[in-house]
Amino acid sequence: MDLHAALSLGLPIGIGIAAIGSGIGLGLIGQGAMQAIGRQPEATGKIQLAMIIIAALAEALTIYAFVTMFLLQGKI
Amino acid sequence: MGLEFLARVRRTSTWLGGVIALMAATYVSPMLGLAFAAGALWSLVNLQLLERLVVGITGPARGTADGVRRIGFAAIGMLLLFAAGGVLLMLLSPAALVAGFVLPLAVIVVKAGTQVLLGSRAWRGLVTHRWRAGIAALALATVTWFALGALTNAGGQPAGTPAGTTVSEQQHGAPTEAHGETAAEPEGEAHKEGKSEGFTNIIALVAGAFPHAAWARFLEHYEVLVFSLLVALVLLFVAFRASRDPQLVPSGLQNGVEMVVEALSDFIISILGPKNGPRFVPFLGTLFIYILSMNLFGLIPFMHSPTASLNVTVALALTVFVYVQFIGFKELGPLGWLDHMLGSPRDLTGWLLSPLMLPIHILGELAKPISLSCRLFGNIFGEDMLLVAFATLGVTMLPFKQLPFGVPMHAIFFPLALLGSVLQALVFTVLSSIYILLMLPHEHHDEHGHEGDAQHAH
Repeated sequence: MDLHAALSLGLPIGIGIAAIGSGIGLGLIGQGAMQAIGRQPEATGKIQLAMIIIAALAEALTIYAFVTMFLLQGKI
Repeated sequence: MGLEFLARVRRTSTWLGGVIALMAATYVSPMLGLAFAAGALWSLVNLQLLERLVVGITGPARGTADGVRRIGFAAIGMLLLFAAGGVLLMLLSPAALVAGFVLPLAVIVVKAGTQVLLGSRAWRGLVTHRWRAGIAALALATVTWFALGALTNAGGQPAGTPAGTTVSEQQHGAPTEAHGETAAEPEGEAHKEGKSEGFTNIIALVAGAFPHAAWARFLEHYEVLVFSLLVALVLLFVAFRASRDPQLVPSGLQNGVEMVVEALSDFIISILGPKNGPRFVPFLGTLFIYILSMNLFGLIPFMHSPTASLNVTVALALTVFVYVQFIGFKELGPLGWLDHMLGSPRDLTGWLLSPLMLPIHILGELAKPISLSCRLFGNIFGEDMLLVAFATLGVTMLPFKQLPFGVPMHAIFFPLALLGSVLQALVFTVLSSIYILLMLPHEHHDEHGHEGDAQHAH
C-alpha cells in the first residue's frame, strides 16, 4: 500500500471516526441542556449560551479532522 | 409612458445587463462580457442624455438660460459618447457591443408589450380563471422545455439520440463537454477549473479577462484580502449612512443598526458583567459583525467568503490572542500575569504544582488562537464546499436534456449556511469574550454571581 492509497483510505475514515466522537459529545450536551431547561425553564438563556459554547468546542474536533483532510488532500 | 417608465427601464436594464455580462464573462469569455457590459452602459448613458435633451427642449425650463445650458451639456455629452462608442468598437468585439446596446431597447419593447398585454381583456380572462391560468402555465412550461431541448440539441448534437448514447458521448468528450455543461449554469455556480474549486467570483473573472496584466495577478493572489477589505468598506458605508444624521426617534437604517448594536451590547455585558462589559463591547461587537458579514458574503453570487480561507481566520484569532494577553498585562500587571500563568499559587501545594501548571497554561493560551481559527475556517469552508458539491450535482443531474441551466439543488442548504454563519460568528465572539473574562482580575467576593461561576469553572 503506497502513500496515496493509504491517504485516500485513511482520510475519510479519520473524519468518520472524529464525527462519531463529536456526535456522541453533541448528543450528550444537547441531552444535558434539554434536561436543564426542562428543570429550570427560567434559566433558558444562560443554559443555551453555555450549550452553544460547549457544542462549538465539541464540534471543533471534527472540524480539526476536516482541516487535516483538507491539508493532506493535495497529497492524494 | 412618462419619465417614470424610462426610469424603470433604466433600472431593469442595469440589473439585467450586469447579470448577463457577468454570465457571459463566466461562461463564454471575459472579454465578451466586458464588451456586453460596455455596450449596455453606452446605451444607458445614451438613453439618459437623450432624455435630458428632450426634457430640456420641451420641458418647463425651455428658453431660460438654465435650460439652454442643460441642452448644451447634453449635446456635448452626446458628442463625447459617440467618440467613446467609436473607440469601443475598435477595441472590443462588435457583436457583443451591439447585443449590449440593444438590451435597453429590448427592455423597452418587452415592458411596453407586457403593459399592453396585461391591460388586454384576453389576459384578464385567462388570469381570473384558476384552471385556465394553470393550464396556460403548464403549456408554457412544456413548450419552453421542448424548445430549450431542441435549441440546445441543435447547437450541440443531433436531436433524437437516446439518453444512453448521450451520456457515453459526454464521457468521451469529457474535457470539452464537461466544460460546456458547467458553462451552461446560469447563476455563476460550480465553475470547476483546476485549482480553484468553488463558485466563480468576480476577481477570478477579472483575472481571467486580463491573464497577463500584473495588477490582475496581484488581485488574484490577494483575492481574500480584497474581499475582506470590501466587506469592511461595506460595513463602513452602512455605519456612516446610519449615523450620519442621527434622529431622536430612529427609523430605517438607523433603527436597524441601533437594534443590532443594542442587542450585542446587552449580550456581551451579560457575559462580562456590568462593570467590565462596556469597555469590551466595541471590540467584540465589531468582531461579531465583521465575521458575520464575511461569512454571509460568500452567499452573494460572484462573491467569496474571506473566512473560507485560513489566512483571514488566523489573522482574526491572532488579533484576539494579542488583545487578550495585552488585557492580562494591563489589568494584572507583569507579576500578576505570571501569577495567573502559574495557576495563582497561594499555598505549598500550589507552589509545588506551579512548574507543572506553567507549561499547561502556556499551551492552553497558545491553543486558543489555533482552535478559534480552525473552527471558523473549517465551518465556513465546509459550508462552501457543500454548496459547491450540490450545485455541481444540480448541473450534472440532467445530462440527457442538455439544458442551458441546472437545478438549484444547493438552494436547500441556504438556511443551513445562514444558520452556520450566524452560529460561528456568535461562537467566535463568545469564546473571545470568555478568554477576556478569564484574564480579568478574579473577584473573590461574589458580587456578580454569574462572573464568579465562570471563574470557578476555569
